[in-house]
Order: sequence, then structure tokens, then C-alpha cells
Amino acid sequence: MPRTKALSAPVLHIMLALADGARHGYAIKQEVESRTDGAIRLGPGTLYEAIQRLEESGLIEESVPAGDAANGQEAQRRYYRLTTRGWTALRQELRSLGRLVDLARENPRLRKGLA
Amino acid sequence: MSRVARLLLRLFPESFRNRYGNEVMTTLAASASEARDRGWMAAVRFHVLVMVDLGAAAFRCRSRQLVAAFERRIGVGPPRLPAPAKRTAMDTFLGDVRYALRQLIRRPGFAAIAIFSLGLAIGANSLIYGLLDGLVLRPFPYPDPDRLVAVGVSFPKVSADTNYIETLSPAEYLDIRTVRSFSHVASYDLGNRNIVGGDAPERVFTALVLDDLFPVVGLPPALGRGFTREELAPGGAPVAVISHRLWQSRFGGDPGMLNRPVRISGRAVSIVGVMPPGLLVIGTDLWLPWGGDPLQMARNIRQFNVLARLAPGASLSQANAELATLARQVEQAHKGRFAEYDNWRLTATPWAAALLRDVRPAGFILLGAVGLVLLIACANLTNLFLARSSTRQRELAVRLALGAGRWRVTRVLLIESLLLSLGGAALGLAIAWVGLRSADALIPSQFQSLGLAAALNVRVLAWSLLLAVTAGVLVGVVPAVQAIRTDPHESLRADVRSGGSRAGRRIRQMFVVAELALSVVLLIGAGLLLRTFFNVQRVDRGFDARDLLTMRLTLPRDKYPGESANVFFGQLADRIAALPGVRTVAMTSQFAPRESAQTQFRLERGPSADRDTLPAAVVTVASPTYFETLAVPMRAGRAIGFADRLDTPLVAVVNETFVARHVKEADPIGQRLALGSPTRERPWRTIVGVVADYKNDGLTEPVRPAIYTPVTQQTDWNQLFVLVRSDVAASSLIPLVRRTVTALDPDQPVYFVQTMEQALSAATFQQRASALLLAIFASVALVLAAVGTYGVMSYAVSMRTQEMGVRLAVGARPRDVMTLVLGQVLRLVAIGLAIGIGLVMAAGRAVEGVLFGVRAADPATIGIVASVLAAVALLAAWVPAARAARVDPIQALRVE
Repeated sequence: MPRTKALSAPVLHIMLALADGARHGYAIKQEVESRTDGAIRLGPGTLYEAIQRLEESGLIEESVPAGDAANGQEAQRRYYRLTTRGWTALRQELRSLGRLVDLARENPRLRKGLA
Repeated sequence: MSRVARLLLRLFPESFRNRYGNEVMTTLAASASEARDRGWMAAVRFHVLVMVDLGAAAFRCRSRQLVAAFERRIGVGPPRLPAPAKRTAMDTFLGDVRYALRQLIRRPGFAAIAIFSLGLAIGANSLIYGLLDGLVLRPFPYPDPDRLVAVGVSFPKVSADTNYIETLSPAEYLDIRTVRSFSHVASYDLGNRNIVGGDAPERVFTALVLDDLFPVVGLPPALGRGFTREELAPGGAPVAVISHRLWQSRFGGDPGMLNRPVRISGRAVSIVGVMPPGLLVIGTDLWLPWGGDPLQMARNIRQFNVLARLAPGASLSQANAELATLARQVEQAHKGRFAEYDNWRLTATPWAAALLRDVRPAGFILLGAVGLVLLIACANLTNLFLARSSTRQRELAVRLALGAGRWRVTRVLLIESLLLSLGGAALGLAIAWVGLRSADALIPSQFQSLGLAAALNVRVLAWSLLLAVTAGVLVGVVPAVQAIRTDPHESLRADVRSGGSRAGRRIRQMFVVAELALSVVLLIGAGLLLRTFFNVQRVDRGFDARDLLTMRLTLPRDKYPGESANVFFGQLADRIAALPGVRTVAMTSQFAPRESAQTQFRLERGPSADRDTLPAAVVTVASPTYFETLAVPMRAGRAIGFADRLDTPLVAVVNETFVARHVKEADPIGQRLALGSPTRERPWRTIVGVVADYKNDGLTEPVRPAIYTPVTQQTDWNQLFVLVRSDVAASSLIPLVRRTVTALDPDQPVYFVQTMEQALSAATFQQRASALLLAIFASVALVLAAVGTYGVMSYAVSMRTQEMGVRLAVGARPRDVMTLVLGQVLRLVAIGLAIGIGLVMAAGRAVEGVLFGVRAADPATIGIVASVLAAVALLAAWVPAARAARVDPIQALRVE
């Protein structure tokens, strides 16, 4: 049994987007939408509510933006990145999802779609 | 747009706004321009979505904040990821509580329904328990109230009733004091005393005690002390103990007034003690040593009450056995002089039951009824849980598959149901609190004058908590067992569409049938009680209850010996009759609708019979105006007259039932009868009149044969009721009448002052209260059953969407589908009805005792209940049925 509650879909996607490196909110949103071909659209409320939750539980933190973006409008934005804890939690969650998929593969009727 | 967004942003907690507000607006602006580029349709869609998104996120944010605050409050702290390395059993438990809380908060609708229905049911239970606790179980603040008993007496020669108030003589009390099953015994007489000191003199309801009352009730004075042996002996020092109420109202709660002399009815008396709050002993406020010598009092001067406390280890039945033996000994010793000792009985009864004997059965029936309501609520919730656990099957299976122990999974489910039931208990207590506060209106005034009140107390609290935990376990256990019996592989593999198993569906239907059956029981019960109540109201009483005031006076025999009691009552009648608005005044030994004193009699021309087979009739000693005051007409001859005196021939009046039963065809006028057993020569009385029948054995019993004798042709009665018929509202006369009595004799107390309508309403209190409450509970049960039916049917319909789709696809009309679903509901209703009616029939005998004019198997009631139940169930199933009929076959088939 996982020691923590399963991560919700938006949270998981945000963490996955941050696994490539630090991003600001709008960039996260765009990344998630492009990764899922627009299947998951994060409204601004959902996005920042999830970010707040992740920050509060210490899974992500604010990071200093890369030097070349440190001017103009970009400088006003907050960048986020995964913490060590965040990495651990993400790996753990993905592992348990993997196990779940493995379990599902045992079902012959499901195997086809999951192969 | 941005203005709307800014407004919506205000929905978020401030901390969120400060930190993320600008970010949200920036992101929004960027997305908005993107959306505009895709055309105006996309832009409109975008704006709507953003508004929904902001609202939903704000709600989530706020509720998360609330949960966090709540968790901080209960000490579990905000969830931290990942979890702490080491966990104690307590951590695990708190973790489970937290998990359960989150599960519930994620489905606020489910939690709300559960808490609401359990709250209603637990509230009803707490309310009834509170009423029972206040009125029946622990009405008085004495310790061990079950061991405090009143000794009652019945003289079968005089009446079949056992009386507890003002019924024993001091000599009889001395006899009772020898009973070894009693550790403490005390006796008291009731009276009124003037108390001076403070602002103005005041008449205070007083108990004059023979032996110390306080060890018997088991309460020491809160301040000062009780009476000493010397003070209680004849000629002891004048001392008094007062109630907390009197201490507050008269002496401003001043502890310095102890041992200072106060004038009580002309004597300087020092107050040695103040009792704790709460009224003690029939609402008296002042306790004085009686001060007489019991041995100097005649055996048949009976105006004392006896209270006793059972000795440690002694049982009530032991005490009663001893009292029976004692009664036989007294009978042997004194029967020669006092004929009433023939077969007399002494009975010890717990004090509360002796005073409030009428309320008990109804109270326990109601407690049973609310128990049923709780069962229905539990069945309902179990069903909801089962329906939910089948959708949660996968979650649980995953937890099991990932290595959670079965106990752990079960425990989480149980904790969830316990949390819900505790929430229900909180709501229930709130309902009970409101209910108990308004219940005062239901409590008859005669009970209130005893200081009775129902309130939320520790016992009610404990009771509600016990119910909540029981309900929580009851509700949680079936889904939990089902959950752990599930094979995780099975349920992970299972086809989502098939939903619950066939067995699961059966269980859920069973629960609905049980709910419906229990509702039927309650509905029929409520229907029968309502009919009973209306029947009792409609009874032809035979007398006029309007504008009639009743009260009782007991004249002390030492003060009013022989004929002087009659003189006093005569003067009192004259003075009251002279009051403005008064039409007539009557004295009587008992009055309608309950004249319980019966005596054997012999008709001169009747069949000769020995003592055991002589018939008995109600015998009422009445003044000449009794019938006129009750507005009962004469049928033949004349009424009792003012000319009937001690020195004129003895006369009697009988009622129609008497004539029909005992005189038959002969002319009753002029016949002679003798009262009492024929062991001694009895004087003959001539029947001078026949009065119309009126209810004399309670409103619900047939009229009994009755004989009326003139109060002026006897000298035995020193305890009479005064009835006042007025042209004005009877209650408005009370102060005037009281003043009239006081003017004649300032020491003379008046008891049981109430209007006839109050007396009748107190007599029907039980029917009224139980009908009203049961009707409320039956409605609650009906609502719960409807919710249950709705839940099960909508679940069943959602599980059968495909089937419905196929049916519609092969040509069934939507109407046919609806008929199918509704037909299924009707089947459940029919089974529930059959079981419910069966239960009522089985309990019929027990129920019929409280019914009047209607049998348990009342076709009209059953018919109405059946149609109401069917209508409500169909209404509840209508929405799911309509949904089934609207299924789009293509959609339904594509799901697979």
C-alpha cells in the first residue's frame, strides 16, 4: 500500500512537466497540453491551486530562472522545480502506477490494449 | 474578462491571492489571447471554462484549508509527503482517520445525506430518551431513584385504586416503620404556611415531616443541616428547612440567614438548612417538623404520605412481601373497629412511577418507535455504503493488491462509518436540544408543578453517543465484510459495467424491503394512535367540561372534627358562589370522568346474596349542585337536595346504567338500597332520582353503575373536590378562589387546582403526545425509506443502462421501460407492506392496550398506509425510472 494518497492527474502531469527542468506556470500549462495533445487542459485556477498544494507539501519549490531570461516580463514570473522529495514521490507514484498496469495486464481482455 | 477573473479570484483564500494572484492573471491573459486567435467561439468557450475552473479551484482550495484547519484542531497536522519514516500504532490509526476524513470530504453529498439521515434518527432517539429521562427514568434529582419508594394503600371496600398521596394515618406509618426492607422511612403531611421575612408575607407549599425526610430522599441539605431527633419529637424546637428556590427568591441566596429566626405562620422559627437546587417532594418549598404525637392520632385519620428507601440488599418484592404480611397483621388487630381494613393492601412503588404512572407505557412505545427509525436510517446508510463500496471496489482492491492487510482496509471503512455516525450524533443532539426546549409545551402543567423538566444532560449525551457508535458499527460492518471477502484480482479484472454482483443487488433490495417494512410498522402505529386520539376526543362524555374549575381540599381532622368539615365546605361553597362570574359550586368525593371509588351494595328487593357475590357500584358523595355543575340532566325523580340532612331519611340517586343493570323493569324511584358489606347492619337509603349517564370510568371505558349520596348526610368526608362552574374562563377564577379559601382558613392548602379542560387534556396527554410524536417519527421514517428506495433504484437503473438500451433498441417504448422499473419498485413495496403488516399483527395484542375505538388490524389505516407508501416509493423511483426511459440505445450500446 502506498504510504501516501495517490497523486491526482493534474498534479502528476505538472510534476512530469517539471521533470524536464524548471518552468513557470504558463509554461507548465503549455507543456502539459502539448504532451497530452490537449486532452488535459489546466485552467489557471486548477493550475495554481495544484502548484500551491505541491509547494505546501514540499514536492516542488521556487527556483531562480536561468540567467538569459532574467529580464523583461519573464523576470516577473515564478519558476518552479521538483525538490528531492518531489523526485522521490514522483518515482514512487510512477512505480505503483506501473504495478497497477502490470496487474491489469494479467487480464486477457485488457492485455491487447496495454501490450 | 479580467475584471470578472479578479472578482472570482476573491473567492480564493487571501494567502493564495497574495502569492499566486498575479501569476494567475498573467497566465490567464496569455491563454486568452491564444483563445481569441482561434475564433470567437473558442474565446467564448474559453471564458466559460475559465470561470468554472476558477470557481472550482477556489472551492477546492478553501475546503483544503478547512480540512487542514480541522486536522490541526484534532491534532493530526497537515498531511506531509512522503510520510514519516517510523509509524506507531497511533500514527497508523490517525492516518486512517485522516484518510477516512478525506474520503468523506471528497464526497460531500454522500457525507451530507449520511449525516443528515443519521442525525434525524439519532435526534429523535435522544429527544425521546431525554423526555423519558426527565419524566420517567430520573424525574427527580435523588440519588438511586429506583430505591426510593412511595407506600401506597388500597382499601378494596372503598376503591380499587391504589393511592399514594394523603392516604395513611400516623398509626399506620408507625406500623410501616417496622418493615425491615426499608433502611429509612419518613412521613409527611402537606399544607401551606405563611412565611414572613423579606418583602411581604408569602404562602408557601409545605411538607410537615414526621421523621427526617432528607436521609430518605438521599440528599443532605446544601447549606446547614437537616432535623435532629429532638426537633422532630413532639414539642421540639421550632426549626425549618427551605428549598433552594425559596432561598433564592425570598432571601436572595444569603447564606447569613441560616439560624436566624423567621416568622412562619405566627411562630419564630429558625431556618437550619437549605436544600440543593431542584424541587423535592411534590413541589414543596418548606419543610417543618410535624410536631404532633402519632400515638394520639386516630387510625383512620389519613392525610399522611409515606416515603421509604429500600435497605441495601433488599429488593422491592421483598419489601412488598413484608408489607403484605404487615397489612394482614393490622387487619387482624383492627378490623373490628375499622371495617375498611378488610383485605386492604399496602404497596411500595418507586416514587417516580407512583407519581407518573400514566406516562410510562407510551414513553417506552415511543422509545421503541424511534429505535425503528434509527434502524431504518442504518439500513439506508448500509445501502449507500454498499452501493458506494461497489464503486470503490477497485480502490480497495488496489490497496489490498499493494499489500494492505484486510483488517486495515476494514478498519478504514469502519472508521468512515463511525465518523459519519458521530457527525450524525452531533446533528442529532442539536435536534434533540431544540426538541427538548419546545417539549415543555407537551408536558402537562400538573407535571410541571412537580418541578419536572426534560433537558439535555450527561445521560442523554451518553445515550446518543452509544447509539452513534452502535449505528456506526452496524452501518460499517456489512460493507467492510464484503470488501475483505472480495478477491482483488477478481475485482480488478471485473467488467465495470456489470457493477455489483447479483448477490450484492439482492442484499441492497433486502435492505430497502426492511426499511419499507419498518416504515409500515411506524405508519400504521401512527395511524392507529391518531385514530385513537380522535376517537377519545369525540367520545360523548355526558357532561360539559367547559368553564369548569376543579380543586381539592383536605381538612385536618383534628381541626375540623365531625360535622364541622361539612360546615366549612358549606361556607366555602356559599362564598365561592358569590364571586362574580360563578354560576354554581359543588363538592364531591370524586368527579367525572374518573370516579373510581366503588362500594358493594344490596338492593332491598334485589336477589339476596352473600358478601362475595354482592354487586359493586361507583359511590360518590356529592353536594346538591353536583349534577347541575357538571350539566348532567336528571332522568327521573329529583336530584340530591339541600333538604337532605343528617336528621332526614337517607337518600340516594343512581345513574341510568345502574337502573338498566340492577333494577331492570321495575320503577327505581322509592326502592331502597344499603351500602357496604352485609356483615353489619346497614341503614337503608331510598332512591329518589335517576341521573343521566356520563363517563365515570375514564373516557375510554363504558359507564359503570353509580350511586350518589348527599354530602350532607355523612360526617366521614374531610377530603373533597370543589367544582366551580362559571360564565367566565375557569382559569381566571383561580386567584379569587384561592383567596376565598385563605380568607376562611389561612392554613388551609388547596391542591390540584386545574380547569376541567386541563384535567381532560392531562388525561389524554398520553394519546396526544404519542400520536403527535409517532406521526413525526413515521414521517421521518417515510422520508428515509424514500431516500433509500431512490438510492437503490437509481443505482439499479445505472447498472442496467445497457439492458434498457437493448430493450429500447428492439422496440420497447420508453413507457414500457418506466413500467418495468416502477413495477420493480411496487414489488419491493408489496413485500415490505406484507412484512410490515405481519409485524403489526404479531404485535397487535401488545398495541391494542393503548388503542381506543380501533383495532390493530384496521383496514382503513392499512389501506391508507399502503397507498401512501406506494405513492411515496413510486415518487422516489420516478426520477431513476424516467432516466431509464430516456436512455439513448446507441449510447448505451456503445459503452461496451
